Parts: sequence; structure tokens; C-alpha cells
Amino acid sequence: MTSLVSARNVSKSFGALRAVDDVSFDIGKGRIMGLIGPNGAGKTTLLKAVLGLTDCQGSLSVLGLDPFRQRRELMQNICFIADVAVLPRWIKVSQLLDFLQSVHPNFSRDRAEELLAQTNIKKNSKVRELSKGMVTQLHLSIITAIDAKLLVLDEPTIGLDIIFRKEFYGNLLRDYFDEERTIIITTHQVEEIENLLTDVMFINDGRIVLDTTMEDLPEQYVELMVSPDNADKARQFNPFYERDVFGKQVMTFEGVSREQLQGLGDLRAPDIADLFVAKVKGEAA
Amino acid sequence: MTGAAHVMDPKWNEDLPIYRQLRDRVVAMILEGVLADGDALPSVRNVAAEYRLNPLTVLKGYQELVDEGLVEKKRGRGMFVTDGARVQLLKDERQRFQDKEWPLVVATIERLGLSVKDLLKDVGTSKPSSGSRKGENND
Repeated sequence: MTSLVSARNVSKSFGALRAVDDVSFDIGKGRIMGLIGPNGAGKTTLLKAVLGLTDCQGSLSVLGLDPFRQRRELMQNICFIADVAVLPRWIKVSQLLDFLQSVHPNFSRDRAEELLAQTNIKKNSKVRELSKGMVTQLHLSIITAIDAKLLVLDEPTIGLDIIFRKEFYGNLLRDYFDEERTIIITTHQVEEIENLLTDVMFINDGRIVLDTTMEDLPEQYVELMVSPDNADKARQFNPFYERDVFGKQVMTFEGVSREQLQGLGDLRAPDIADLFVAKVKGEAA
Repeated sequence: MTGAAHVMDPKWNEDLPIYRQLRDRVVAMILEGVLADGDALPSVRNVAAEYRLNPLTVLKGYQELVDEGLVEKKRGRGMFVTDGARVQLLKDERQRFQDKEWPLVVATIERLGLSVKDLLKDVGTSKPSSGSRKGENND
């Protein structure tokens, strides 16, 4: 795997708070990675470091560049949509296209106009006249028109209704993503992106608590719904988390094969949201 | 959004990997005649976008169909239903029914003491249509 992003022992402190605490990982090209964590876990700080918007300790390489020191070069090949709408409210859509054309070497105005033609956004509209969903559509259209290797999405669909959210990810896959590109997404609506990820990383208190591929995940983790009479037998395999669902125990195991648990109850691969809760609560226990 | 999206807006079943369910879905479409021999499968990109799936998942589902000889890859043009795919599938489905499902049906008939003659009296009177096979492949 050729690494597009490579982090080794990356840390970032704000005073006494270690927002990112000794984190190492790699992301290859053609991957879509979900970065999942509770509020304040360090997701945004980590993404800022990847984008070169903040310095950090340790070694971090993005597209072979040092993001903080070579940000100008890096910016030609990465894109970013943040959880806050950053497009100025007074700008007209046509002015925005003019601006990008003049400052961004990899921006294709034709492509942006082609994408905008599929929406209801008018070129003489100002950003403040657009609905929140349309601003996101506009943002995605201009980002898609930039020939970038890495796209970072920090809560991109926050505040959007379900139709816009589905369309957002659909358009991302249809118009932007290919095997040469990489996407990093953070979101609290995990179930919406679960199926489009190739990789998933959990972060809690600044530390990575899970980093795996979606392909390997069902082999590493298994959930067992067990009836009370089999519960003690199942506990011998050391589940790291247990919860009660309608009078049955649901246990989550790491590194225990399905064969070993066969016959004790219903087995299934945990979904990401459940696994995340299990990981975070299981570690705290 | 295309019309096809509504026909097969999927509820993924948690017990089977999604690529496998995609494969089953295409098989059902071939059996139902929605996809005929020589027809193009929807592009990987479109399926991925429509259902918000990773393209690798879609590709893996399609690859299963290629491995089974039901679909062929044409360089630069996409995936197509192989000639004779439906006939082959019907043959497999009939065989599977006879080997796997029929013995269970027979056992049930015997266990419940049903009359075979009564059970069969309506069989063959309903007009056969492609729709009558719907659901056959669901489980």
C-alpha cells in the first residue's frame, strides 16, 4: 500500500490537554476512511494537522510533504469541507468561480459549471440567498471540480436533511471518487457512511482505539447474542463489552473466532456504531 | 435519480455481506427477466453512488458473477450478462429446488398429513408470468 498520509507518533497539546496523543497510522490511495470519535476526542485537531493548519509533534507526511511547512504546495492537491460553512455570504456563485479560477491551478471551471447545471443553483445568486442544502451542494461542486488527491470532510452533512445527505454521498461517489483519490470523513451519523468506507479509525481522548479495514473487521470482531443459560460459558472467551438487549446479553469479542462461539447464540459482525460504543465503554470499564 | 433506484432500494440484511446480496440481487434480476442476455449491468460507479456503497464492494459482487460465468467483462465497456445466463440460472434453481427445498416440502406434507391431490389441484391453473417467480430467490 502506498501511503498518502503517514503519521508517526503525532501529538498535539493545548496547555495541559493532549488533544492528539501519540498517534500513528497510514492511509493509502483509493481509500475512504471514516474517522469516528466523540466530541472533543481530537478528530478536528488531527485533521487540522493533516491539512497543515496546525503544527504538531512527531512526524506527519501528506502526499510526501510536511503539511505545516509545505502547506502551499500541499493545498494544490488537497481539498477540505469543514463543519462550518466557510463560503462568504455576500459572494455570487459566478464570482466564486472567477475567484477559484484565478487562484487554484487545479480548478476546472467547466467541470464546476457542468456540476452546478445539475442543481437548482443559479450563477447570479448570492451565497446568502441559498438554502443550507444548496450551499453544501455548491461547496461540493467546486470541490469536485478541483483535481485533488485527498479530500477531507469534517462533518460535511451536519444540519442537512436526509435527502441532501444521501445525495451528498451519492454525488461524492459518482463525480469525485476514484481509485487514485482518497477521502477522510468524520461524522456522527456513522450508519450513513458505514457502507462506503474501506477503512475505519476510532479515536478517543486523543488516542487511536481502533484502526482497521472494513474487510478485516468482521473477522476481528464478533457480536454474540446469548441466552442467559449460555452466558457464563460465553464469558470464558472474555468479551470486552456486554450489553443487555430485551433480556438477552449481547457480548462483543475481539480476536475470538466464530467457530469457538458457535452454538452459544446468534453471531453477527457488529456495526460500526455498536462497535464504537463497545470499544469506548469497554476500555473505560 | 433513475427509476431503477426505487425498484431495488435495498434494505441490507445484516447476516450476509453486502457484495453477496448485490450478487443475489443481480441473479434475481436475470431470473425475473429484468436483465436479459447481453444486457449491460449498471456501472460500478452508478451502483456505488445510488446506494452509497464503496465501489470495491460493488466490484466484488460483480466479480462473483463473473466467476460464476453469468456476467462477462468487456474491456472499457463494462459488464454484460453472458449469453445463456438465464437458462443456466433456471437450471441451477430447478436443481436446487429439487435437491434442497423439495425434500423439506415433502417432509412437511407427510408430517401434516396433507393430501397431495388437494394441494396440486390449483397448480398450473394460475397463468405463468415472469412475476410468479418473484421472491423465489430471496432466501
